[in-house]
This record gives sequence, structure tokens and C-alpha cells, in this order.
Amino acid sequence: MTTVTAALEGYTQQLRNNRMGLWLFFISEAFLFGGLLVTRFYLWGNTRPELDQTIGLIVTGVLLLSSFSMNMAETAIEHGDRRTFLGGLAVTAVLGLVFLIGVMVFEWGLFPAIYEGHLKPGDNVYGAVVFAMTGMHALHVISGIIFIAIVWNLGRKGGFSPERHWGVESCAIYWHYVDVVWIFFYPALYLIGTVAH
Amino acid sequence: MPKSATDIRHFIIAGVLVAITTVLLDLLLKAILPMPVQGSHQAQVIDQLTSWHLTLIAFLFSLVVVIMLYSLFVFRKKDGDESEGAHFEGNTVLEIAWTVIPLIVVFVFGFFGVRALSDVTRAAPDEITVNVTGFQWSWLFEYPDSGVASNELVLPVDRAARMDMTSRDVIHSFWIPEMRVKQDLVPGMTTTLRFTPSVTGEYTVDCAELCGLSHYSMVAPVRIVEQAEYEQWLAERTAGTAPALAQTGDETDADTDVETDADAQSN
Amino acid sequence: MTLWSLGLVRGVVGQIVGFAAGMALVIASRLLFGFDPVWNQEPALVGGIIIGSIGFLIGVGALTDWFKWMRGIETPLHHGPPHGRPAWTRYFGVDYNHKVIGIQYGVTGIILLGIGGMFAVIFRTELAASGFQFLNPSNYNTYLSMHGWAALAAILLGIGGMANYLVPLMIGAEDMAFPRLNAFAFWINVPGIITLLMSLNYGWDGGWTVYPPLSVLGPVGYQFTFWAVFLIGLSSILGSLNLIVTILRMRPPGMSLFRMPIFVWAVFATSLIQLTATQFIGQAFLMLSFERLLGMGFFDPDKGGAPILFQHLFWFYSHPAVYIFVLPGLGIISEILPVFSRKPLFGYRWIALSSIAIALVGFLVWGHHMFTSGYGEYLRVPFMISTLLVAVPTGVKFFSWLGTMWGGKLSFPTPMLFVLGAISVFLIGGLSGPILATTATDLFLHDTYFVVGHFHATIFGGFVFPFFAAIYFWYPKITGRMYDETLGKIHFWLMTPAFWTMSLGQMSVGVMGMRRRIADYDPALGVEFGHVLVTIAGFTIAFSVLLMIYNLLHSAETGRVAGNNPWRSRSPEWQIPSPAPEHSYASPITVVGEPYDYGIPNSTYVHMAPLAAADD
Repeated sequence: MTTVTAALEGYTQQLRNNRMGLWLFFISEAFLFGGLLVTRFYLWGNTRPELDQTIGLIVTGVLLLSSFSMNMAETAIEHGDRRTFLGGLAVTAVLGLVFLIGVMVFEWGLFPAIYEGHLKPGDNVYGAVVFAMTGMHALHVISGIIFIAIVWNLGRKGGFSPERHWGVESCAIYWHYVDVVWIFFYPALYLIGTVAH
Repeated sequence: MPKSATDIRHFIIAGVLVAITTVLLDLLLKAILPMPVQGSHQAQVIDQLTSWHLTLIAFLFSLVVVIMLYSLFVFRKKDGDESEGAHFEGNTVLEIAWTVIPLIVVFVFGFFGVRALSDVTRAAPDEITVNVTGFQWSWLFEYPDSGVASNELVLPVDRAARMDMTSRDVIHSFWIPEMRVKQDLVPGMTTTLRFTPSVTGEYTVDCAELCGLSHYSMVAPVRIVEQAEYEQWLAERTAGTAPALAQTGDETDADTDVETDADAQSN
Repeated sequence: MTLWSLGLVRGVVGQIVGFAAGMALVIASRLLFGFDPVWNQEPALVGGIIIGSIGFLIGVGALTDWFKWMRGIETPLHHGPPHGRPAWTRYFGVDYNHKVIGIQYGVTGIILLGIGGMFAVIFRTELAASGFQFLNPSNYNTYLSMHGWAALAAILLGIGGMANYLVPLMIGAEDMAFPRLNAFAFWINVPGIITLLMSLNYGWDGGWTVYPPLSVLGPVGYQFTFWAVFLIGLSSILGSLNLIVTILRMRPPGMSLFRMPIFVWAVFATSLIQLTATQFIGQAFLMLSFERLLGMGFFDPDKGGAPILFQHLFWFYSHPAVYIFVLPGLGIISEILPVFSRKPLFGYRWIALSSIAIALVGFLVWGHHMFTSGYGEYLRVPFMISTLLVAVPTGVKFFSWLGTMWGGKLSFPTPMLFVLGAISVFLIGGLSGPILATTATDLFLHDTYFVVGHFHATIFGGFVFPFFAAIYFWYPKITGRMYDETLGKIHFWLMTPAFWTMSLGQMSVGVMGMRRRIADYDPALGVEFGHVLVTIAGFTIAFSVLLMIYNLLHSAETGRVAGNNPWRSRSPEWQIPSPAPEHSYASPITVVGEPYDYGIPNSTYVHMAPLAAADD
């Protein structure tokens, strides 16, 4: 056995371990987000707060769109197309930022000078749960954007190849996962139940 | 001593020892776990169930410990003997037996548990309702039928009582050991506890859920009296000869000089 | 070598600097966003806790390799002690060898167990007589609460120690699947523990359950507890993730799932719970922290919140947590028993699957802690039945242990004694369970000292005794020397009867009307004698543990050289030299037999060579 094939075998082994580790992490995180959903249904039942439907629709659309650009980036590196890869990552990060701005500036009203929000975390149980769910999700989006920035920087410097791009793969799966979580959160926050006044 | 591990005589000896130990242990357990006065109808149900549980515990404890000790003495390694034990890896019939039999025992005890639960929580037609309020660290009892409020709980004997309870601050728990049953008081909701006192006497209602600094002293007197005495007490109270009520828990921690939680929070 | 070269020292300095930076950050952002007043103790302290913990991790060097990866720098794994420094220093800094990390976990666990035990001994002494002797209610409550979380964190660390040290050895793996994550998961505990101990300065009084609203109204010490538990919980999640991947992916050829040493099964079951349920307590404690910080009304009825929701979230972790604590210990019992019985483990598959069954049923029983909480009455019966069902797989373990001993050739060195002690003590804990699971009887016993007795018997039988058994059993493999057998036996014969006394004493005073967590009691209850007994027993246990620590430290220098396999075990870790070398296995191993086939001549479990050689 030559050292090259031995190294490759080691890499394949490690890659399999990494994949399993990442999916176990997602299972674990599912319990975190599930816990937040449990909290939402326990406290709100069949009601929901009056949230801005336009903002909700826009940020959801933006986040879904970002999954496509992320997928584009990953496919590109698999084919060795570095330009599209970097471009796709950049678009994803920008869309992620737009999502964050939508949530933090408009839904939260973090900067009242720009936009006055509807809810405060300390108002009542509606404010509390909205901020807990969107806050925990936003934390994951932020970490995802940082992740993308690191991968983008490494890719710019010539890192990753069609054969070896676990960094890209994990970044992409993580981003899709955070996206999927929002697909559960969006109806729970914006659609299910009657508006409580 | 029989040589083979599967010799029937081993099992007979061990079985007899288990039986003897079960009886002794049952007596011992009931001696070291003395219940308070059986002061309510609910207490009779609960004590009966407890007694069955203790007997089961005595049997199962004896079963495991006696067989274990028997093995330790009979199957211990002799000095200088370096050989291995008998080779058997398991026995599917035994495994199924000690899965299925406990399962049956679980369902039998589950059945009696459900029956006891419905006994101790059943509503009676002629209940006395008392509104109980817990706060750090005292109790307030209000009798809605007569408008009486008191820091002492007075109830007639042999008549079902219903406590409708809530808390003003943190979670407390209403427990009169002689009545056995217990229920938390939760701020923002009303919880209910039913019991029927069966023995007159003076007891205490204790807070059983850690509720802060003076949790240990959140105790109020309880008097179970005859119906006539109860009515007389209510009449005295309604006439307005009652002593002043404790509305806050401040006096309960007068003997300590530490900050209360509320003080510490406002710093 | 300087003090600065010790990772631990750098970590602590990093935490102090980070704490100051975090407080400054909070003050600055309050200024920026126009909060009034700018200085507010609680948010500033929370900022300090969070940034301080990150500061520790940077200081100790747990993040160094990952930071390099982010800049595209390769970091080959370094093996062996650090260059130019004494070998012992590797235990005080980041090291990627699972055996070093296992020892770090274990020793930290013992130290924290000592701290937790010390709190218990302090307030136990206070309880020996009614009236207030030397504590006031405020510090009584704080010590009581600290005892809870210090001891629970110690248990998690102790389990981490056993799992990290033993699992890769037992499955013949070179190391864990993710060595850096492994080191990170250990080191995140240390700022967690420091944070937990800092809470003493501010006090908190909710017991380990920290039910709101009390924990929202109480002193700021709660924040330290919330975040400490969050950090330790994060360690649990990452550690269990690592263990699951290691167990599923790194076994040698021939080791099918049902040929794994039984302890590995127990760790697998435990890790499944840790990976998932821990998220719930992390989330619940974060919610409490933010309810205090931002007035978010999750559990505040005035804002539409529900105090009972916290209990659901809390117990969804904290009940399975008990199985996290006991399953590895039960695995240790099953692992050691066949060695000293010289007989196969009776019903291997049943024991393995019963661990998984306990883990799964454990997810469905949390409501039995809430029979008196005021949740829907219709929930009482299902939770009662599901809880009673746990007795069935637990019973399978007990009976299988009896089957293992029956007809064996039993010998009784210290590890075996502790295993037998564990069985007897866990039996007390287990058998006092159904009476608490039955709703009607629980209405009487809930929140009394009976529960305290039950819980401590479960934890001592399921964790402490097996943990000590494991320490004595693998001590020769870790140090290469034998512990002092006489001292070990004295330890056992002091601790076991003392524990029985303590356990039965606690149950006895509980039935007589002694409530849990009260700083003082009415002498009219007649429980003073019981409390005196329990206190004496507590001191005896504490003394016996000190004896063990002396034994372990002393024998590492003076003990007789143990040899590779003093217990004549079949397990792979005993086929390599003692102490275990840096690379545990000189070459990959192959499994060729059953793990516990004692009594079959010339059968072996492992072949100490790769697959190709085994075919020869």
C-alpha cells in the first residue's frame, strides 16, 4: 500500500466520521429547536401575536433563496469552478445578512430610529417567545455567515478541491439545516392560530 | 454442599432463606418507617398501598440479596484454585420469565395505584371549600361560605374538605403529613386538594416546596375539631373577634438578620 | 518551565481578562443603546461570565488548532508529552490523547465530588440538631443548592472520565473520533466549574431544580448557576457526540455490536440521552437567565407565562439525566462481575438491550416528578405506568447479575467488593422507586426526605460505588502499580454500612414528616436521632473517600508493580502493557471471540494483530 492511497483512505475514514458527527449534532440541535416549538405551543396554544406579514414573507423568501445559492456554490467546487463557488458563497452570505437585517431591524425594532418594532421581549409571553425563537435562530444564522466567511476566505486563497472540500460541504449542510429550521419556525410564528389582541 | 451449580438443593436452600428474610425484612421496614397518625380517609388508602409496596420491597430485596450472599459464600474461590467457573452464557427461558413476571407485577401494582389515586382524589357532595393562599412565608385560609379569613386552618372531622389554592409569589406546597396528600400552590393558577379528616387533633400544614429563605418555617397550625366546635369557631370569627391576620411573611424571619430574597434582588 | 506554560494557568488568566472585557462590553453596549442606568450589575456579570468562559478556552489553548484551520493552516496531531517540559505538565493543559483527557475528566470529577460532598457535610452537621447551630437559613439554602449542582457536575465529569479512558481502549481504537473536540469538551467544563463556584459569592437558594418564579426573584448567584450548567451541558453534548461516532465507526474487524464489551453498550445508551435531552436543560436555563435579564415572561404568570412549563422542560432532561448518571455505572458492574466470577456475563444481549430500553423509556417518564405540580390530572396515570415500566429492564440487569455470580469462582478484591456494594445500594435505590412512581403514595412522599434517600441510593449505587470500583479496577492499567488492598478494603467496609445507614435513615425521617430542603425542623417530629445517625454516616463516608484518595496517591509511588493483566481479564486493554503506552495498540487488533467466554479453555476475545495476520 503506497502512502498516497493510505492517506486517501485515512481521509475517507475521517470524512465519514465527520459526516456522522455533523448529523448527530443536527439531531441534538433538533431537540433545542423542538424545545422552542414546544414552548411556543404550550404558551400560545392556538393563538399568535400580530406580526408584520410582509416582513415575514420577505425574510422567509430571502432565506429560501440563499439555500439555492449555497447549493450552487457547493456544486461549483465539486466541478472545480472556483469563480462560481466564491460567487455563490458571497451571494449566500449577503442573503443571510438581508435576512438578519429583516429580523433584527424590522421584526425586533432594534434601532427604533429606523423602524419601531411591534413587540418588546419583556412585554408579555408573545414578545418573549418571538424573541426567543427568532433570537436562537438568528444566532445560528450569524454563526452560519461567519462559517461562510471563513470558507470563502480559504477558497479565495486556493483551499478546497473537487476531491477534498469537507469545509464547504459542512458549511452548506449547516446552512440548509438552519434554513429548514426556519421553515418550521415561520408558520409557528406567523401562520398558525388566530391573532391575539 | 452440592457440587453442581444447577443442583436443585441450592435453589431449595436459597428459596427457604429468601422466604425467611422476606418476613423479617417486612417487619424491619415497617418498624423503621413509622407513618404519622392516620388522620384522614385518604391516609387509610395510601397507608394500605404503602404497606403492600413495603412487602413487595422486602421480598425483592431478599430475593436479590439472599441469592447474592448465598453465591458469595457457596461459590467463592478456594485458595489456590485458578480454574474458571461453570460456562453458561444465559438462559432465554429465565430471561423471558424475569421480564414477563415483573411486567405482570407492574401492571397489578399499576392497577391498585390507579384505584388508590381515584379514591384519594374523588370529590364528595358535601365539601367544605377553603381558599388557601400561600406567600413567602405564611399561609392564609379563607372560608368563602362565611367570609372568614384566618392564619389557622380549622376543619370539622369526618367531613370532606376541598382546598382551592393559589400562591402570591413563588411555588409552595400544601402538606399536612397526617392527611398524607400534598399539592403545590402555583402562582397564576388554582390547584385543588381534597381530603377528609378522620381524627380530631392539632396538626400543622407545612410548605413542602422550597420557597426561599424561610421555607423551613412556613408552617401554619391546623385544628381538626367536632362539627359543633367548628361552627362555634366560624361564628366567633364572623363576629369580628379575630386577631389580626398575617398578610405578609415579614414576621417569620424576624429571628434572622439576613437579607430576604426581595432585598437582595433590588440591590 | 514556567507557570505560564501550564494551560490551566493561562486559562484562568484568560477567564479573568475575559470577565472584565465582558463586563466592559455590556456597559459599552448599554451606553450605545441608551439604556439607563448604564451600570446594572446583573447584565454586566452575565456578560463577564460568557466572555470570561471564551477567554478561558482561548487561554488554555482549546481553540488554537481550530483558529489555525480557519486560516488554512494544517495542524498535525502531536503525540506524547510536550517538548521541553516535564511529562506531568500535559495533564494541566490541552492534550489530545484520550487517556490523558480521561484522567483529566476523572481527577476533576473526584475533586468536584469532594467539593460537593463538603457542602453536604457542612449542612448535614447543621441538621444533626434542631435549631440553628452555625448556619443561617440563607447560607444553608446556598450550600444545599451548591451541593446539588456540584455533585451532579462531578458525576458528569466522572462518567466522562470512564468513557473517555475506557471506550477507545476497549474497542481497540487509537483514539476518539474527534480528538480536538474531545479536549474542547473537557476544557469547557473548567470555566463552567469556576463559574459555578463563583455563585457562592452571591448565593442562590432554589435547590438544583431552580424552579421559577423563585429562581427569577432570587439573588444574582442564579445567573452563575444557569450559565455554569449551560457550559457543562455543552460539554455533555459534544462529548456524547464524539463517543457515539467512536463507538459506531472505530471498532476493529470482528467486533460486531453484540461483541462489544458491555460497558461500551452502556456508554452508547448514555450518550444517546446526553446528545438529545441535554438541549432541553440548556434551553430552560437560558430562558430563566433571559427572563431575569430582559423580563421575558416565559414563566411569569403576570405576563401570561407558566411556571409549570419550566418543570416540563427541566425534567425532560433531568429525569433521563438520572439514567445518564447510572447507566455507565451499571455497565461497570456488568463489566467487572464476570472477571471476578470467572464466568460469562449472564444474558449479554439482554443486559445490552436493557440499557437501550432504559434510555428510551427514560424519555417518557419525566412527569412523575410533577405529580403534585398542578399539571393536568389526566397526565398522572400515564406517567405512573411508564415509570413503573422502568422496573422491568432494571430487573433484567439485577437477575442477570445474579445469574453471572451463580456457580462462579468468586474472589473478592476491592473492585469486586465495590461492585457488590453497588448492587446492594442500587437495589435500595431501585426498590424505593415504585412507591414514589405510584401517584397515590407519592402524594405523601413527594418532597420529603424519603425522596432524598431514594435519590442518593440510586446515585451511590448507580454511580459512586461503580465509579470507585472502576478506579480500583483500572488503577493498575493507568499507573502500572497496585493500590493498597488493605486500605481499599477498609474504605469499602467503612463506606458501605455507612451508606446503608444514611439511606435508610433519610427514608425513615422522611416518612416521619421531615420535608426536603428545610434549614431547620421541629424537634416534635422526633427525627433528631435519625439525623444524628445520618450525619455520622455522612462523615464516615467522607473519611473513607479521603482514605481512597490517599491510597491512590500513595500507591502510585510505592505500590507493587502490577503487570499487564493482574485480573486475568479477556478485555483488549488488559492485553497491552501497564501503564498503557502512548499509542495503546502497537498494531490494529482483530476480534476473534466473545468478550466474556470465561470457562472455555484456549478461547480468546481479541487477536493482537491486524486482520491479515489473524487469517494466517
